[in-house]
Amino acid sequence: MMIDITEGAFARRLLASAAILALGAATITITPAPVLAQEELNALVWCDHTDPALIEPFEQANNVKVNLKEYEGTGAGLSIIDQSRPGDWDVLVIDGVDVQRAVDKGILAEIPADALPNADIFPEVRMEPNNTRDGKTYAVTEKFGYNMVSYDKTKVDPADMKDMSKLWSDKYKGRIAVYDYYLPMIGLTGIDLGKATASLTDADLPAIKDKLFALKANAKQVSDVVSSQTALATGEVDIVFGGGEWLTAGLVKDKPNLDWVIPEQGAVRWAQSIGVMKDSTKKDLALKFVQYIVSPEGQARLATSSCYWAMPANAKAGEKLSAEQKTALRWDEQADYLKRTQLYPIPSAELDAKMQDAWTEMLQN
Amino acid sequence: MAAHSLEDVERRKAWGFVAPALVWTIVFFVAPFLFMAAMSLWAQQGGSIVRVWNLGNYIAFFEKDALFRGLTNSLEITAIVTALSILLAYPLAWIIAERVPQRFQRTALILAVLPFWTSYVVRSYSWLLVLSRNGVINQTLMNIGVISEPLELASNRTATVIGFVHFFVMLLTLTIYANLVQLSPNYRRAAADLGANAFQTFWHVILPLTMPGIMTGAFLTFVLCIGDYVTPQILGGNNELVLPQIIMLQLGRRADFPMAAALSIILMLAVTAAYVACARWLKIERT
Amino acid sequence: MIRNRITSIACSAYAVLIFGFIFLPVIVLVLFSFQDGRLPVPPFNGFSLQWYEAVFADRKLMSALLHSFFVATISSFVACLLGFLAAYALARFKLPGSAWQRGLLIAPMTVSYLIIALGLLTVLNAFGIGLSLWTVGIGHVVINLPLCFAIIYSSMGDHHINIERAARDLGASDIKVMVLVTAPMLLPSLLASFFLSMTFSWDEFIIAFLLSRFDVTLPVEIWSLLRSGLNPKTNAIGSLVFLVSVTLLIMLELFLFKRTKKS
Repeated sequence: MMIDITEGAFARRLLASAAILALGAATITITPAPVLAQEELNALVWCDHTDPALIEPFEQANNVKVNLKEYEGTGAGLSIIDQSRPGDWDVLVIDGVDVQRAVDKGILAEIPADALPNADIFPEVRMEPNNTRDGKTYAVTEKFGYNMVSYDKTKVDPADMKDMSKLWSDKYKGRIAVYDYYLPMIGLTGIDLGKATASLTDADLPAIKDKLFALKANAKQVSDVVSSQTALATGEVDIVFGGGEWLTAGLVKDKPNLDWVIPEQGAVRWAQSIGVMKDSTKKDLALKFVQYIVSPEGQARLATSSCYWAMPANAKAGEKLSAEQKTALRWDEQADYLKRTQLYPIPSAELDAKMQDAWTEMLQN
Repeated sequence: MAAHSLEDVERRKAWGFVAPALVWTIVFFVAPFLFMAAMSLWAQQGGSIVRVWNLGNYIAFFEKDALFRGLTNSLEITAIVTALSILLAYPLAWIIAERVPQRFQRTALILAVLPFWTSYVVRSYSWLLVLSRNGVINQTLMNIGVISEPLELASNRTATVIGFVHFFVMLLTLTIYANLVQLSPNYRRAAADLGANAFQTFWHVILPLTMPGIMTGAFLTFVLCIGDYVTPQILGGNNELVLPQIIMLQLGRRADFPMAAALSIILMLAVTAAYVACARWLKIERT
Repeated sequence: MIRNRITSIACSAYAVLIFGFIFLPVIVLVLFSFQDGRLPVPPFNGFSLQWYEAVFADRKLMSALLHSFFVATISSFVACLLGFLAAYALARFKLPGSAWQRGLLIAPMTVSYLIIALGLLTVLNAFGIGLSLWTVGIGHVVINLPLCFAIIYSSMGDHHINIERAARDLGASDIKVMVLVTAPMLLPSLLASFFLSMTFSWDEFIIAFLLSRFDVTLPVEIWSLLRSGLNPKTNAIGSLVFLVSVTLLIMLELFLFKRTKKS
């Protein structure tokens, strides 16, 4: 076997020069020299904050660069913070029910109460027990929505959807997707059993578990946002239990047959808060960012941002939204919705662990 | 001046060559792994990690049916996927090696693995579309009258298996082809001289000779399949969780690193067991 | 003769079926990248290039693409280099405990990427090293080094030794022997391991997801894009990458491989 060394040499040189080129270009591109001596703000956020339409006005007005990292699940977010050094993060978006956890860990800075437009926020979502402690404010609600029932109105009887218990009936067997998040789903199941989310205890778990198992048996799948949306849009399922406007608002143009409703028994309400990190080296800039997000303009953009649409916490945002957008968000029915919905359960650490175990068991059943 | 033997010089050179790879592996693999092993013996309580040595996580794994089933689901699905992928890939590898003209073989091979270069995540969602009730497969089957009701192909174990098999058929075609193509034609000639027909030659000569390629591919399939999170998560509909999904669940809200670490160690033990079973064919032999 | 015909037809039928199976999701993926509508799901509404435009206009997606390319290229190069050096050492010299060394170098292949990522995360934190594309690269070298080593080591045949010895007799230093003699002889396996490493690194998700901060790779960016629901943009980027790699392969095929005369 004759080996043509010149061929090998050619290829070797090709590879070598490609490698050198790659290394050179990499050093230039991956560590870019800053264009101006711009200040940077690091924010750990939910996906709806990554919309350029939301961020760019703030960046331009203040000549800063906002670096965003999205995360899902409070545990994941807190462990990102654990794995970071103090000063790595300036702003945090966190689930409303988990703000106290963050306060316990001492990672949130106090915000002067007069810096925030509290009076303009819908009263039911001010959530002082969550956002404050001992009279000090640590976070402010920025957006809220509901977990209820989304459905295809051409495939199911809308009247049925008003009664949550119908989801356990044979009529809809195999046509339901259950939203994959244990906290609101356990809350909803509890509501169907007639228990308020705020009063759920260990003793309620067995009954809830039974209902969950029955629900799983009646469902086609338990899935996250994307898979649930896909399933609803392709007709794989006709109902998403735990869905809401955030699931379908973006699809309304292509799929006008999708609708959502709060059952008579009630539903759960989610809310997200935003706060300043205690170890941030740019607290003033971070506070400015928070103030921008809860200002009417920021709120309007956040409400209709690219990841999911939902209600802004600041009522004044209504002045900045178009009529179409307000209809899609059902702005005028919010007063009624707020009355009929309850907050997520806020379990102790042990109950939380037990709930997650119950959920895992349900999935494996 | 002390005389260094040629062997000493040679040996020092050799250490110099192998050192970078060894150091890299030790610093960036062994050390983190040992740390994870230590972590698995601690516990998570109330949001922080309690560094008390205990086997609590492992005990919980054996006690809680939901966790243990993660392992059994993983093993079952991986076994089915490995078997199916080998069955489907071998004929294709054989066809490319034996039936396709020499000058087109590389093209055929590249064609067989081209879909690797679409994004794994997007490809999985595309499978979801293809397998759904109104998807291509059901529509076609209903149009030609084979079935009257759509088949439940999506968001369950079937979909997960199909998604995996799609990936591993491509991988196994590569490994089996590589093996087939290296076989000396003399084996076939000898068998023919001894009077064997085509089938006998294949069964008694070719197949055993390609066992190393099959076993290497099978082991690779096993490792990658049992540790994969994306495919079951997208295609499985959360109807049966496999171990990687359960591991990710520990991280989601609770950030229970110790439990995640313990489950990861268990996953690794399963793979080691598979390695030991296949060790005979997996020795890194030099040609 | 008839049996031959039947076998031929059976083979062709099987090949068509399997290739159909392999390309089915790709066809759907590419088709719906041209969807005239917000959702890449049936029915197909009509042809539109809007999603390709959206992809090129999406700065984050474009930079993620570039990041992926550099991480893949550099980490694969490092993995190949380290793997080649180690394989050379272990195949050509007698070192004590070489079986253990081989085992150690192969070991990362048996560990799930998730574990490697989590382990690295905690170690990097302990040393106060921040996350970035470089840490992703480190993770990718960890997963690709065993592969490169195994492929190159298993192809270092004894029959090569004589040629190397000849070169050394003619006065070449070790480095020269390695670079000018051994490497070219091993070119197929060097290229194979580089190519395979690039493929694995390019599409790798979990390590990139856990070990990056603000600059991300393509799979992570696609995952983020998908958080808000299915989007034909991801189909478009998937198709683009596919088209680019097909073109690259065709070019490599025409210019590189055709020139290597193998017996």
